[in-house]
Amino acid sequence: MIEFVDVSVTYDGAAAPVLAGVDLQVPEGELCLVVGPTGSGKSTLLRCVNGLVPHFTGGRLTGTVTVAGRSTRDHHPRDLADVVGFVGQEPLAGFVTEGVEEELAYAMESLGVSPPVMRRRVEETLDLLGLTELRGRPLATLSGGQAQRVAIGSVLTAQPRVLVLDEPTSALDPQAAEEVLATLQRLVHDLALTVVLAEHRLERVVQYADRLVVLPGDGAPVRVGPPTELMAASPVAPPVVELGRLVGWSPLPLSVRDARRAARGLRRRLADNPEAATAAGPAATVAATGPVEEPLAQVRHVVVRYGAVPALRGASLDVRPGDVVALMGRNGAGKSTLLKALVGLVEPASGDVRVGDLRPARSKPSTVVKVVGLVPQEPTDILYADSVGAECAAADREAAAEPGSCLALVRRVAGDVPLDRHPRDLSEGQRLALALAVVLTAAPRLMLLDEPTRGLDYGAKRRLVTTLRGLADAGHAVVLASHDVELVAEVATRVVVLADGDVVADGPTAQVVTASPMFAPQVAKILAPGPWLTVTQVAAALPAETPTMRRFSRRVAAEVTFRRGGDPTAEDAP
Amino acid sequence: MMRLSSDSTRQVRSLRPAHSITLARTLHPGAWWVWAIGLAAGASRLTNPIGCLLLLAVAGFVVSARRSRAPWAYAFGGFLKLALLIIVIRIVLQALLSTESQGVHTIVVLPQIPLPSGAAGLKLGGVVTWEAVITAFDQGLQLATIICCIGAANALASAQRLLRCLPGALYEVGVAGVVAMTFAPQLVADAVRVRSALRLRGYDGRSVAAVRRSAMPVLEGALARSVDLAAAMDSRGYGRTTVDRRATRMATAGLVIGGVVGICAGTYGLLGSAGSGWMGLPTLGLGCALAVVGLVVGGRRTGRSRYRPDPWALPEWLVAGSGVAAAVILFLLAHAHPGAAVPPYPLQMPEVPPLLLVGALVGVLPAFLAPPPPDRVVDKGRPR
Amino acid sequence: MTPDPAPRLAHSGTAAATDDATVTSSAVTGGEPGSVATNRAATAAQARGSRQPHAILPLRLRSALVLALVSLVGLAAYTWPFFLTPGAALDNSHGSDAPWFFVALLPLLVAVVVAEISAGGIDAKAVALLGMLAAVGAALRALGPGAAGLEPSFIVIVLGGRVFGRGFGFVLGSLTIFAGALVTGGVGPWMPFQMFAAGWVGLFAGMLPRCHGRVELAMLAGYGAVAGLVYGGLLNLWFWPFGAYSPEVSYIPHAGLGVNLHHYAVFWATTSLGWDIPRGLLTGLAVLVAGRPVMAALRRAARRANFG
Repeated sequence: MIEFVDVSVTYDGAAAPVLAGVDLQVPEGELCLVVGPTGSGKSTLLRCVNGLVPHFTGGRLTGTVTVAGRSTRDHHPRDLADVVGFVGQEPLAGFVTEGVEEELAYAMESLGVSPPVMRRRVEETLDLLGLTELRGRPLATLSGGQAQRVAIGSVLTAQPRVLVLDEPTSALDPQAAEEVLATLQRLVHDLALTVVLAEHRLERVVQYADRLVVLPGDGAPVRVGPPTELMAASPVAPPVVELGRLVGWSPLPLSVRDARRAARGLRRRLADNPEAATAAGPAATVAATGPVEEPLAQVRHVVVRYGAVPALRGASLDVRPGDVVALMGRNGAGKSTLLKALVGLVEPASGDVRVGDLRPARSKPSTVVKVVGLVPQEPTDILYADSVGAECAAADREAAAEPGSCLALVRRVAGDVPLDRHPRDLSEGQRLALALAVVLTAAPRLMLLDEPTRGLDYGAKRRLVTTLRGLADAGHAVVLASHDVELVAEVATRVVVLADGDVVADGPTAQVVTASPMFAPQVAKILAPGPWLTVTQVAAALPAETPTMRRFSRRVAAEVTFRRGGDPTAEDAP
Repeated sequence: MMRLSSDSTRQVRSLRPAHSITLARTLHPGAWWVWAIGLAAGASRLTNPIGCLLLLAVAGFVVSARRSRAPWAYAFGGFLKLALLIIVIRIVLQALLSTESQGVHTIVVLPQIPLPSGAAGLKLGGVVTWEAVITAFDQGLQLATIICCIGAANALASAQRLLRCLPGALYEVGVAGVVAMTFAPQLVADAVRVRSALRLRGYDGRSVAAVRRSAMPVLEGALARSVDLAAAMDSRGYGRTTVDRRATRMATAGLVIGGVVGICAGTYGLLGSAGSGWMGLPTLGLGCALAVVGLVVGGRRTGRSRYRPDPWALPEWLVAGSGVAAAVILFLLAHAHPGAAVPPYPLQMPEVPPLLLVGALVGVLPAFLAPPPPDRVVDKGRPR
Repeated sequence: MTPDPAPRLAHSGTAAATDDATVTSSAVTGGEPGSVATNRAATAAQARGSRQPHAILPLRLRSALVLALVSLVGLAAYTWPFFLTPGAALDNSHGSDAPWFFVALLPLLVAVVVAEISAGGIDAKAVALLGMLAAVGAALRALGPGAAGLEPSFIVIVLGGRVFGRGFGFVLGSLTIFAGALVTGGVGPWMPFQMFAAGWVGLFAGMLPRCHGRVELAMLAGYGAVAGLVYGGLLNLWFWPFGAYSPEVSYIPHAGLGVNLHHYAVFWATTSLGWDIPRGLLTGLAVLVAGRPVMAALRRAARRANFG
């Protein structure tokens, strides 16, 4: 169905090709997963399928890409619209019309499909994707998962035989991601659609893939093959695969189910050594600092309303130095609002918020930033300059810090970042690092992060974990709102679960997270009822007996000391 | 492909439900505009303040009876305020700038401000007369009525649906218009969010520098989105059915240029002396016709089809017809009573010719003849 | 469903298949001739630096001709009170018919010009950019007190016209007003006049002479100030003939060019000049303050979107 023959892509002005010598065949009806670190060319590969590269983006493509017998050499993206459906990362940015029905019909209108056929296909697609309830809704009112499903529907109505999705779930919360992935599953199984998708959160999708395309980046050759084989040596892997590699399971399990069946022996072995879990876990820092210190921030029975709608109904929270608190809960539970209340972006209608001896909403912003800092969900909201260098210089000036201190922070978090690059042209990880550094320059003791892992690959996430733990060790406190259970398991000392504007659970990570399957990380699901949350903990508990494990322990150590530099380059789409 | 689509559209149009005036559906926006322009044209012939007030009431009644729950449906209130402002400004200007030549019945004598000799003959302040104020009110009311009729169309017709009715030659710009309308509210929301985020960098959010700082991320975001949007449009076949034939292009060019030349000449004729009769309306009409044909021919290049185009059925004919009929009646009225020179002061009840009442009654018919908008019916049916 | 003929490529200006060295090299390796769509235009644009505007909807001779003729009629729509000959067809007893005549005529004219500029199709990138910039302008109109004389969307129109050229400037100007009016539910008889005037603002911004750095910024700021002022003066004209405020400031049919010009000058000076001058100054100031980063952002976007 899709055939790449010796494909190389070089963008204008770039020294090296993004993709080099890619040979790839995807037969009809397969779900093909493209994995690789940021900047390895995933987006470029996907955009080659429907000719967006190079017709739309410019640059030079050598070799041939053929889809359903049509070569992208002489077919533009628009000429392939009835063969390839392309869904980008941000569904809202790709909507052309204002209503769900019109959006579904848009592609067919462009192709000149006759009205009765359009009408029928729109109805079919509404049913297929479960969108019937939404048919008359304006697109701007849809939730993330609904919008993504409408985006998929809007390309399906042209009846393509290939569906290409670029990180369809990276901006979604777990429930919405489930909806979208279930939809994709159905399309593959019921309609025999060929699906090609790129995704950072492998734990969500790798078990569904029929074929894996691994882009290692750094000019290494692209590997294509069955997932169980390729995952063994992939530079990015979900925790379940990491665990399998550590223990040396063969065949490598890709789903929690398979891993749990293989883990009977491991569970017995680990039961002898339960204290290792606490020694290597995030809670270790708490034990070192001790709970005696005064709280850095106190939230007491806070109520926040937007208009008449309450977002927080009397939530309370204490944050002590050395704490890394993870706020979890579904969308709209009040996580972001709690963070905003802590930094003074919203004023509580009743109750009290104190950080140190400040009331953030009542204090001058310039004093607040020295005590508490927030990295918002969209890091670019707080980046104003047109280059990394200028942004850092501005941050130094604002914080009256030594010139160069912000840049030093950026380098510590993200490695080498080109100074003349525009913040928007950085990769997601670098952008987050820059925003984090800008906020940290003012040296606040309390750091808040809202959904920091959106769009981050595993490497960037590991660096984030190291940075946040370093902050906690240095006596800062960190509060982060996140849906990412794996990150929370790695970094949080405490988990606070919010529901409907109130705190429903508050306790040490291991307790809260293992108590509910919704919030449990993969390792916990595999090794339950043991207290294990992360692969790192398991590695610490096992004696280094196999070469794989020795290699793994070395790698864990290396990551902790932060050997790896920044992301190779920015995300490839210009 | 073109033929097929237009045939089946015709089939859809001939379905009975579209002709029902009680079955809830969105009326073709063009019908509302024809109705509103008809009323506005009628109002432009009214010298009678009672007639203006009647038309205002007609527009307001129809809006309240047939508007949807969409955000633009509340535009009429804004237009009413604007109308009030127009009347007030008229009266104030008149009072301040008028001279005694407009009447002899003094209301008040304001202190007169001496002006430099450059403003020859102009005075500021001084005597304010009843005649001046009442004339200003009457004229202001007339303009206000016209504006409110247009405001009624704003409130009743969906702007997005109106954009879908643009001729094919303007298809691309129409798409850009839809994009602009969809994203403008989102940009406002973005701006609010970014501006509140200024606090996170220690800024107050009120200074000029703060506004500039918050503007850049919004603009950058919009530009980045435009690239995503273009990629999405391209991969969904935008522009695929555009055919660019040399012959069509030349024909369009000839028609358009001919038409524009005709319009130029016609306008010149209309503004020039009465002698050059053929240069006036006939040339203008020919020019307009050529230009319209040019637009139609130019629109042939898109082979798009339309999803569920708004039908133009019986209710549309009735609504548009009521507007046109009201205009005709009011024009007849103006012809029959060519503005008898009634002195504006002392105030007296202007006579209300029966024709005026008939015109207003015809104008109010859409409140009953147009199908109700679907979103209001749904709400009634479902208990909350 | 046949693919488009080649001329579309040339119009979009983004992708033109070439037969250069890469074709031969891949032919040597035995594959099909496989070089697609190299684009040197973008690199060339970078090399040219920021001086060269990235003209997106270039005005061809034909569109320029249509635009000139239509502008002539458009100008007449504003300034007819000065030229109306006694006894002309538009000169009737009511005196207020001529403005409505032009209100009806101008939408057709705008449609004709815009259709002519976009003849042959606009590619997806240009449409998206046009839509987004118009959205920015419309949002600014919705946020800013547009009615009180401030016209913050002029920054977008002036700078957009400057960076992307004359044709784009005209369409952007008219579309910004149109979208703004639709969003706020403010479609009225004034709209065609505003669309024309704003279109001219963008058009002339794209026709300013080439220069760069501080000179460019100063020129644009000055242009913005003048545009803001003249825009006010022109827009008053459409409703000026309606009024009978006082004989000394009103439109008097048959009074001749000199008298009416004088009356209008006095009318303008006493009524809206107090708004127009601040509008002009603020537009100029805003261009001065925001011009550099905004133009940099637009040019970067043009490079990223790979317009040539």
